[in-house]
Amino acid sequence: MTSNKKKLSKVFDYLQGEDPFVGGLSFCAGCPLELLVRFVPRVLGRDIVIVGTPSCSATVMYGQNIGAWHNLSSLGCLMTGVASSATGISRYYRRTGKDITVVGFTGDGCAADVGFQTLSGAAERDENFIYICYDNEGYMNTGIQRSSTTPLGARTSTTPVGSARRGKETTGKNLPFIMAMHKISYAATATLSHLEDLAKKLLKAKEKKNQGFAFLHIFSPCPTGWGFGTDLSIEICRMAVKTHYYPLWEAERGRFRLTHKIKKPRPLSELVGMIGKFSHLRVEEMAALEKEVAERYALIEGMSQTIPLDETV
Amino acid sequence: MVEFKIFTKNEGAWSNADELLLCLNTGSWRSERPVMDRKKCNYCGLCALFCPTQCMTNMEDHFLPNLDYCKGCGTCAKECPKKVIRMVSEGEFHDQGKA
Amino acid sequence: MIKARHEGEIRTITGNAAAAYGAMLCRPDVVALYPITPQTEVVEQLSQFSSSGLLDAEMVEVEGENSAMNIVSAATMAGGRVFTATSSWGLAFMYDALLQASGLRAPVVMVNVNREMPGILAVSSGQQDMIATRDSGWIQIIAEDCQEILDLLIMAYRLAEDFEIQLPVMVNYDGFYLSYLSEGVNIPAREDVDAFLAPLKDQPERPKLVPGGPLACATHGIGEGFVELRYKHSAAMERAKRKFDQIDQLFGDFFGRSYGGQIEAYRMEDAEIALVTSGSASGTAKTVIDSKRGEGIKVGLVKLRMFRPFPRETLTEVLGGRKAIGVIDRSVCFGWNCGPIYMELRSLSPEIGLVPMLSFIDGLAGLDITRAHVESMIEKVHAASQGNPYQRVTWVNLEG
Repeated sequence: MTSNKKKLSKVFDYLQGEDPFVGGLSFCAGCPLELLVRFVPRVLGRDIVIVGTPSCSATVMYGQNIGAWHNLSSLGCLMTGVASSATGISRYYRRTGKDITVVGFTGDGCAADVGFQTLSGAAERDENFIYICYDNEGYMNTGIQRSSTTPLGARTSTTPVGSARRGKETTGKNLPFIMAMHKISYAATATLSHLEDLAKKLLKAKEKKNQGFAFLHIFSPCPTGWGFGTDLSIEICRMAVKTHYYPLWEAERGRFRLTHKIKKPRPLSELVGMIGKFSHLRVEEMAALEKEVAERYALIEGMSQTIPLDETV
Repeated sequence: MVEFKIFTKNEGAWSNADELLLCLNTGSWRSERPVMDRKKCNYCGLCALFCPTQCMTNMEDHFLPNLDYCKGCGTCAKECPKKVIRMVSEGEFHDQGKA
Repeated sequence: MIKARHEGEIRTITGNAAAAYGAMLCRPDVVALYPITPQTEVVEQLSQFSSSGLLDAEMVEVEGENSAMNIVSAATMAGGRVFTATSSWGLAFMYDALLQASGLRAPVVMVNVNREMPGILAVSSGQQDMIATRDSGWIQIIAEDCQEILDLLIMAYRLAEDFEIQLPVMVNYDGFYLSYLSEGVNIPAREDVDAFLAPLKDQPERPKLVPGGPLACATHGIGEGFVELRYKHSAAMERAKRKFDQIDQLFGDFFGRSYGGQIEAYRMEDAEIALVTSGSASGTAKTVIDSKRGEGIKVGLVKLRMFRPFPRETLTEVLGGRKAIGVIDRSVCFGWNCGPIYMELRSLSPEIGLVPMLSFIDGLAGLDITRAHVESMIEKVHAASQGNPYQRVTWVNLEG
């Protein structure tokens, strides 16, 4: 019987070297960002310089006085300065002729809000570095405030639900699509339930950054902020893909490919029902969110058909 | 000139991982721990891959959590396709987390 | 002392072009470019240098000054030499990055072409932008003419990258007065500038961002660790004063042009009263001082070249024992209703003596500081020195 056959998942093949982070890090239990933070350098390799910013990842990217939580090279910056600092480092190293990988690593608060201008500028200039945005749909480190990627209707500490106002009143920015519209070398979405896909996209970004800007958008739900059990993060990532809430795609120079075609999506309620920040949604609010989700998937599906990325590009 | 405790060696804020690595005792956070039923395990490694703290040790034909760092989130138990792992309350154990 | 091998080429160029030449000669690795009046010509000229092959650097046409400052700071953390230029609003926009640069101890060299700060839209000269960023932890120096702009830039690299200093340096000069003024400027030969900056290579290496680790930059400062770094920053600023004087001396020996370091004292040997100025207005002031001397008034000038760190010791020495002092400010100290340099000089009163000090706010919004203004200022200071009642603050552009 093959059910007990001892065979390791293929994903292990993508992991090179040891985990550069120490064993005990101050992430919430079950945080998919912790998984991402430990995964990325093992796939990309050690010849990287990480540029971080105040965020949930700052607590481990930034050392304390002279102590560090990892043995990688990193620079801690201002939220307004990640893409620009990464530009400075990558431009300097380009000049010295060394091929290194600079990785900007921020949350959605930086990438979509306060650091957006500089991100857009770096993308337009097609700078040679990778920018990874982990999207937990809010400013989580400061206590679950809304950001511009927070979805329509979601409850956050700055969009609470009461008799006068009910959750976020505007739809979230489609940040990865906006970045793909800069016609950068590589733009992709990935998540932590699909680790092999994430690893492949990381490696592709590492290669494509030599031709221009590479942007990776990672769906990274927050158990603490969204209100779900610490064991459900991976399941929520998976469900987000299955319900079309989070389409997985990639784009090169403005040409698109859906990497995971979900022909029969699960009902959105199966995802939303697991997540506390949506627990207040009335029928019409749910319908509005469903419309947003359907349009977002249709957009990528349409782009994949009308401006497709074929294998020869 | 004031006397320093010499926290800092450089003019700016630099850390040197070769000299000082910090680590938190995250094993003390959990209220339940994963317990493995080795007979059912098919060594797929998904528990190790999905573990956020990456604390699973490869034991050649199965995986075991490092209880110094396991936060008891339960992801491994949830994701295991063979239902090898159960989350058991820390109250059931008297070893204070030392495996 | 080794002298420059070449005479240098004299060309008639604007202050902005002189800044571009100064930066180009120092061979920066990464240059961030963004236009803002009255600095735009600096980045245009640098782009010309780049396209003609004279400047071999990574030219980054940024989308905003905030990015410009972050780019250059990070590039220095990786080990590079950098340059950027800005003014007024641009300087304000990069404010968080300015603090980042000085906190990181990044040896960034930047030109700030002085222009009035926003709030009241002004496309005119004024020193408010420099004043608004005086607490950013940067070294701030001020040029009086186009030659000095070029020379100060070369000295700025020597100062910023000095291992004992490691601080960003802002070279200020009056917008519109110097930025667009053409003067004969001696442009040193490239190999001479290389030779002047060469001693920087013999220093111990500062920590750098190298892929693979183990060094990581910009750690979180906790408790005494934070305070230690602040203290080191302050100590470095203190050292920068003497270091600047030394570098000026070396520059003088090497290129034949010395400026006097932190301050310039003009006819102060026997002066009874003094005027304190900075920037291009100093030239006008010197002319009027000569004429007043002819009338028998023993007046002298102290020109501030280094503004941050504040030249406490040299100013105390040169201003001590005078009977009255007038300070010309091209900016306003909000909340004190006086000029900022005046206000800082007041703090030296116990050491220089409790003598009348008069603040003259003049030259705002690009209005000229005229000879008539300076004559009137000297007369007022002179009257005060004789024991007559005096007005603490005079808004010369409104009161005359």
